[in-house]
Amino acid sequence: MGNCQCQSNTKGSSIYLPEIARITRKKLMTDVDCFFEFEMEKRPLGHKYGQFVEISIPGIGEAPISISSAPSSSKKFEMVIRNVGELTSVIHGLNIGEAIGVRGPYGTTFPMDDLKGKSLLYITGGIGLVPARSAILHSLANRNDYKDITILFGCKDPSQRIFVDELSEWEKRPDVNFLETVDTAANSNWKGNVGVITTLMPKLQNVNPDNTVAIVVGPPIMYKFVIMSLHDMGFTDDHIVVSLERRMKCGVGKCGHCQINHIYVCQDGPVFYFSDIKDLKEAI
Amino acid sequence: MEILKISLSDFLAHVNKKIQAGDSKQVGVVPKGSHFVFGELDEAAQLCLDYDVTILPPKKYFQPQREVLVKYAPKDASSYAMVNDCENLTLIGVHPYDLVAIHLMDRAFSEGERDENYMAKRDCSVLIGLYPTRGFEHRFSASMIDPQMPYKVADLMLIKLDDNQLALEVVSKKGKAYLEGAAVAKSDLSEAFLAQARNKVKDSQAFPLGPDKSPAYFKEKYEHPVWEKLGEKCYSCGSCVFVCPTCYCFDVRDEVELSLASGERVRYWDGCMIESFAICAGDHNFRKERGARFRHRVFRKTVTLPEKYQVMGCVGCGRCAQACTADIAGPMKVIKTMKEMN
Ligand code: SF4
Ligand code: SF4
Ligand code: FES
Repeated sequence: MGNCQCQSNTKGSSIYLPEIARITRKKLMTDVDCFFEFEMEKRPLGHKYGQFVEISIPGIGEAPISISSAPSSSKKFEMVIRNVGELTSVIHGLNIGEAIGVRGPYGTTFPMDDLKGKSLLYITGGIGLVPARSAILHSLANRNDYKDITILFGCKDPSQRIFVDELSEWEKRPDVNFLETVDTAANSNWKGNVGVITTLMPKLQNVNPDNTVAIVVGPPIMYKFVIMSLHDMGFTDDHIVVSLERRMKCGVGKCGHCQINHIYVCQDGPVFYFSDIKDLKEAI
Repeated sequence: MEILKISLSDFLAHVNKKIQAGDSKQVGVVPKGSHFVFGELDEAAQLCLDYDVTILPPKKYFQPQREVLVKYAPKDASSYAMVNDCENLTLIGVHPYDLVAIHLMDRAFSEGERDENYMAKRDCSVLIGLYPTRGFEHRFSASMIDPQMPYKVADLMLIKLDDNQLALEVVSKKGKAYLEGAAVAKSDLSEAFLAQARNKVKDSQAFPLGPDKSPAYFKEKYEHPVWEKLGEKCYSCGSCVFVCPTCYCFDVRDEVELSLASGERVRYWDGCMIESFAICAGDHNFRKERGARFRHRVFRKTVTLPEKYQVMGCVGCGRCAQACTADIAGPMKVIKTMKEMN
């Protein structure tokens, strides 16, 4: 009874229906992080720096994952997926050619166009490097658009380093100031810096806070301390860009899971100027 | 707006015709124990046009407690197929505050990325509003809603004149079409008389702030001890959000048949008062404290939605106040407690 003949004009579409992408490359980066290159089946993803997609496996579920490749017109895109649960563990087990569901891209982007002519200071912790990398690669490919580029990367211990080939490339580049640290280096032959990421910041003598924008991406615990150090260096809140992590379900501003006061992180974020959210008490 | 009259028995006879025709599900308010619920009518005689409040708001017809969004063969991403089940539906006897709530839901689901699962159900619905004839001790809707706003979504509005007579306001084409073949007569009632009939019952309490003042008032109270004081009594049961006509947050889960042959991605009602609502990767919970969750819910009604839509996010139905075992959930309670504490 009551079968619907509604003329709901777009009933044929759904914001919850995933598209398909297939694995074209795959490489384990740490014992829990795996690099993937995917190829969309039908169209280029068309993402911008710092955006995310909802990826899924039928029967398991969906989760938001940051895109780590620079924007491109190809159907290919890259991600690093950390194995933290059932969905990510199933994806880790997939082989080249196998498919996942993809919705998106969603979210705001690193303001790379607005930042032209400025110096960039990337401060990345752990898999915070994944979304930041999409901006880093863009700024390195368009090196003349930006003044000084400084990249800080920190992780728990040497075994947690990701994109190691690129890290050493950045280290070698004369036009990039790259600094790296690990929280602890016990039981390893690590020769580099040891200490949390903020211990690198006193080394940034040449960074001019007036003409530099800091892009900060890392685990929730990192933001407070990094932002305090940036303030000490003279950075104002409108020269700090952050990318926030929240629980997300829908990715499209409906389900409420990612909401902080009036902000839906999935739509209004994940990338924010710190000046826009500093008064949001639950933001960091 | 055209105004018509119809006797109650003729109206019920018309509803019966619709039930028999069977091309649109007729849903109305029916008694359940000492309470009322929206339920499908098998015959018009079940319909109750004299009730205080329903246990659940009518949102369940547009955003069901459980709703399949996508189906698939497990593990096979190429099998994803959308699901959008809707059916022709007439809701009879919706009070003005619930109509305003539907208007808010319409905006949330249609603006930005359009949610067709919700919108298709709305497109297939006819809404017949009804001015309340019974008071409800927890209601304060007169202070929360703009009296014109129900007309943004209603197709017809019923005004009970006495035990046997109804006035009918024909708001939309859909409403007019619904009445085709009904024994209606032109109305000779004056606007003054109708205005009085619309406002037969008065609320016993009023919320002191409208959408212009409320956001600033509450933002200033962000650190007020009231959140912890009331929040510490909360059981995190979620009743206040499930019964709320303007709460639409949801969870999405995958469910696979025992045979593993097919599965569904399903959305369920969820709510910010439930402890796990804001946990993200690494088990970091952004609203661990009950007080913080309580504040978040009240702020959605008094700050977030008013700032976004210039309409209060609470329509004053009073359901949360009735549903809450801890007796803390009602926005009136928050205001009163704040005043007592000052
Ligand atoms: S907050 Fe309470 S009174 Fe307000 S609309 Fe929701 S359930 Fe009704
Ligand atoms: S109904 Fe009351 S006890 Fe239950 S979650 Fe809401 S405020 Fe807490
Ligand atoms: S993830 Fe659903 S509203 Fe943001």
